[in-house]
Amino acid sequence: MEGVEHTPTRSSQLTTFSLRQFILRYGVYVSLVVLLLAAAVLVPGIYSPQSLFLVLRQASQLGLVAIGQTLVLLVAGLDLSVGGVIVVTNVVIAEVSAGENANIPLAIGVALALGALVGLVNGWLITRRNVPPFVATLGVLVFVQGAQIAYTKGIPSGFVPDGLNVVNQSVGPLPVPFVLWVAFNLIFAFVLYATPYGRKIYAIGSNREAARLSGIRVDRLIVSAYVLCSLMAVTAGIVLSGYVGYIDRYLGRGFDLDSIAAAIVGGTAFTGGRGTLLGTAAGVLIVQFLSNITLVLGLDEPVQLIVKGLVIIAAVALYSIAARKP
Amino acid sequence: MNTRRLFSLFLVTMLFMLGVSVMAQDEAPTPHVFTVPENPPEYTEEQLADNAYLQSVVRRLTEEYDTSAFKKDPPYRIALAAQGPTNSWAALFDEHARWYVDQLGTDVVSELLYADANGSADVQVPQVEDLLAQDPDALILVPMGRAALSAPVERAMAQGVPVVLCASGVDTDNFVTEVGTNLYSSGERWAQWLVDKLGGEGNIVQLNGIPGVDTAETEALGAEAVWAANPGITVLDAQYGNWSTSEAKQVMEQWIAQYGDQIQGVWSGGAQMSMGVISAYLDAGLPIPPIGGGEYMQGFLRLAAENNVEFYAVQYPDAMVILCIDAALQILRGDPIPRYIDFRDYLERTQDFSNEDMDQFYNPNWSDDVFGPVFLPDERMIELGYLTTPESSG
Repeated sequence: MEGVEHTPTRSSQLTTFSLRQFILRYGVYVSLVVLLLAAAVLVPGIYSPQSLFLVLRQASQLGLVAIGQTLVLLVAGLDLSVGGVIVVTNVVIAEVSAGENANIPLAIGVALALGALVGLVNGWLITRRNVPPFVATLGVLVFVQGAQIAYTKGIPSGFVPDGLNVVNQSVGPLPVPFVLWVAFNLIFAFVLYATPYGRKIYAIGSNREAARLSGIRVDRLIVSAYVLCSLMAVTAGIVLSGYVGYIDRYLGRGFDLDSIAAAIVGGTAFTGGRGTLLGTAAGVLIVQFLSNITLVLGLDEPVQLIVKGLVIIAAVALYSIAARKP
Repeated sequence: MNTRRLFSLFLVTMLFMLGVSVMAQDEAPTPHVFTVPENPPEYTEEQLADNAYLQSVVRRLTEEYDTSAFKKDPPYRIALAAQGPTNSWAALFDEHARWYVDQLGTDVVSELLYADANGSADVQVPQVEDLLAQDPDALILVPMGRAALSAPVERAMAQGVPVVLCASGVDTDNFVTEVGTNLYSSGERWAQWLVDKLGGEGNIVQLNGIPGVDTAETEALGAEAVWAANPGITVLDAQYGNWSTSEAKQVMEQWIAQYGDQIQGVWSGGAQMSMGVISAYLDAGLPIPPIGGGEYMQGFLRLAAENNVEFYAVQYPDAMVILCIDAALQILRGDPIPRYIDFRDYLERTQDFSNEDMDQFYNPNWSDDVFGPVFLPDERMIELGYLTTPESSG
């Protein structure tokens, strides 16, 4: 009837609520399935065992970084220094080991120590000096890159030991990095979902002040998230070093933004407090499959970037709409 | 012995030691003298059409610049706006510059005004302004962007500071000379070797550098001209590897999965990418096809030597800065100078080579990232960590 304001009924409220919740919870998985189906039609060759092996291996390299990035995003932060940490890890592996397999443990130890230090600096800047995460981690990235160039004078010495070539091997049909990625996902999933630490991380991201008032040591936990993020970047750097077998100054390029994109596409909120490792893993697979599909289709790199950008924008837009309260 | 005799003995001893020290110093190098080539390369109208880069290089190779307006007496203050040690090529570029100026002596170059652009055109533009404010006698510029550095180059020329472009170009034609090589021809030569290797028939894949970067795009154009002239060659795919070993490896892995042994040759616009190509084939356990895309880069040569890879190498040496400095000196002497200087005509050990003569270039004691040829003394190379044992650098 005219002039009568429509009051939403309980059933329509439930429908709206379910659709929103469905998108928030399962949107990334549906998107992944749609993408995989599209790939089956457009580039069926991508499902050959060799091609799948490659996709999973490449996805795992990004996936390791994305685990750490998810942690940081959960506390409403982000880490742009991961790319720099990857390159430094590559240099450290080569210089400390000097190409000798016997020195690999020492090289890895030094890389992890440096990575932890980077994470501590990031966390300290953000929590003690109230520097916005974007600015703090960008500044640390520039510092790390400059320090690496200054130390090596532009020419890193040493060789990546061939013992790290194990990352190019497989465990059954699965690439070693994929097995590592799954293992780390399981470990971090346990920490996030089954320990007080994990609950506190989500609490901080949901409402930092309320978390602080409830007695959670907010600053300490935020710092720990950045340290863990850097350590995962070091892990990715070790895997990539073995993958390339060489000192590559472009190693891990784009991993900073791609890891953020994968987590966001996977449903992790920029504002913190929401997100899952499984969602991030799906986001990683979406990003990686997109890259491989566009490559196999022979699309130019600018077009590849456009496609990737559109997917990220669409995912963020969809989540932001779904996240609005009715 | 009386005082006078003692003093005389002391004086003779000091004079002797001075003479010995003077004789022990390296002789100052003789700067290169650049002239218009007698037999410049020729291109057809079809090749030159719509190829501004090639038109410019071909024209300037045979043009001479009257530098009499810049004539000055030494010593000179030369400004060097460099890329900065963001990678090994650029780091050795700087080392060669400092070493060469040191060799020339302060009687020739009293001061080298240096600016490090950290690989960024945005950083380099104000740096060039700062250098010009110090009133140098000449400016040697490694442009980080063709368009961005055009205006600073024109300002320098307007100020009366002659500009030598080193290793890259700008959009304006208002500079004295450029030292480099015909990148279009480099891409052509890599491609032609592949064509000859395959007997004019076969499938290749093409791996370019960074999209939009002059060097990468020009080299790719050269290659594409060769493919067009050889219809028996099929380009299965062309992608950008961004001059990155890891990115090139990922692309190559996907191509191997997609095309397998259909790939009979690889054109690669840089040695770092060629290393990724070799690595991908090693992981796949497949025989490595011939690679038109080598350079005088230690890591690539090591991998090629270890795996018996057939390749063709074209050079782009960081040591070309020696010629850039010599060009500045020739300008300041007031001698006419060609507007384009191809380093292959003047710098030793910069010729093309292949796996067949690789032993003349490969130095197992260099670190992987070293780009040859290297003219620095071994002691300096060891000090910098680029050389592990005292061997002849080359």
